[in-house]
Amino acid sequence: MQTYDAKKKKKTWALKDVIFLAVIGIFFGIIYQVWSYAYYAMAATPLKPFANDATLGVWIMAGPLAGVLIQKIGSSVIGEMLAAAVEMLLFSSWGASTLISGFVQGIGSELGFAATGYRDWGKRGLLLSTLFTTIITFVWDLAQSGYMEYHLPLLTVLFVVRFISIGFFAGVLVAMIAKMVDKAGVLKK
Amino acid sequence: MNPAAVFVLMLGIGIPLTFIKSVILNVVVSSVCLAYLLFCKVKPKTLLTMLLVALPLAFGSYVSQRFYASHDQVHIAWIYATRIIAYLNLGATLTLPNSVENILFNLAEHLNFSKTFVYGMLSSFNMIHTIRVQWKRIRYSALVRGERYRLFQPALYLRIIVVSLNLSGDLAQAMTSQGFSEGFPRSRYEKDELPVWQWLLVSILIVSYVACAIIFKPW
Repeated sequence: MQTYDAKKKKKTWALKDVIFLAVIGIFFGIIYQVWSYAYYAMAATPLKPFANDATLGVWIMAGPLAGVLIQKIGSSVIGEMLAAAVEMLLFSSWGASTLISGFVQGIGSELGFAATGYRDWGKRGLLLSTLFTTIITFVWDLAQSGYMEYHLPLLTVLFVVRFISIGFFAGVLVAMIAKMVDKAGVLKK
Repeated sequence: MNPAAVFVLMLGIGIPLTFIKSVILNVVVSSVCLAYLLFCKVKPKTLLTMLLVALPLAFGSYVSQRFYASHDQVHIAWIYATRIIAYLNLGATLTLPNSVENILFNLAEHLNFSKTFVYGMLSSFNMIHTIRVQWKRIRYSALVRGERYRLFQPALYLRIIVVSLNLSGDLAQAMTSQGFSEGFPRSRYEKDELPVWQWLLVSILIVSYVACAIIFKPW
């Protein structure tokens, strides 16, 4: 039988890490519910593509946030997948699309940190993470949401809107949160 | 059907669904899923509510493609509108007839999902009421100070992280105290069987769906 050691740091995923990200995932589930009202209001109109791109940043946040908090290889993908699994099991019936989207978003975020060799979990890592996430999710939406049927000027506008949304929520905001967490010293306990 | 088989089916159909452009196949997937849900005795009222909630999104997809699609607007609009409904029904085949516990245990049992993840998620799901209360407390405590947390304020997330850290530490400690050991096999009193015919059915359904799309290219 194991005994609990709060200070023990593992390279593999510990139960505490999983519960930590799952609890954050549930909080995000509640945030997504609040946020989805804004999305629904826009998505039921011809502005749906803009609703997708303008609100996407909030749905992306769980991945990079898990990355900067846990700082392990795979933490962004697992963090995003956990949030997607929480959303699928507790908050929505979208099932397959939630999980697949979570995976695509997590991979994008993970690639950003991987590009730094998992050495930079700060601003550079987050910048690359937002960039990769924007590109990968956009490519995915070309097929999934029918973006490939749109004209190039509209696609350009949508890409810029998406990058602003992801850049703010999954980049700037996550960097600010990481700074506050660091300042408060809550993860050093 | 066993939730693990439905999970594989959901992904096996869900991923190609993203790339297959067919209104007919979307309608077929939706209809089969609805029939399965009714067979599983999911209340028609629940299904109706689910479809009504998704309808504005399907409508949004339809009008967006009618407005912005560069060619064949009507067909394209129907493809993406029906795809939304197909995705929804496909997802519901896993989440509506099965409990969260049943899904997670079967994924661990039959698809070798990590037990640390399964039990970690289950334990946190059991705290959903506490987490909802904490969410209210975070907002009320800000209101007491004359502040209102917005989704773009980092202070809100700091509070969430602090609460999550405390809850996860306590929960992990409690589970370890109760005998949970990470990375060790665990036995269960009751097991759900997953007969071979279900894997066969899942394979046949996925292969038929993809083959149908490639060979017949339905509208």
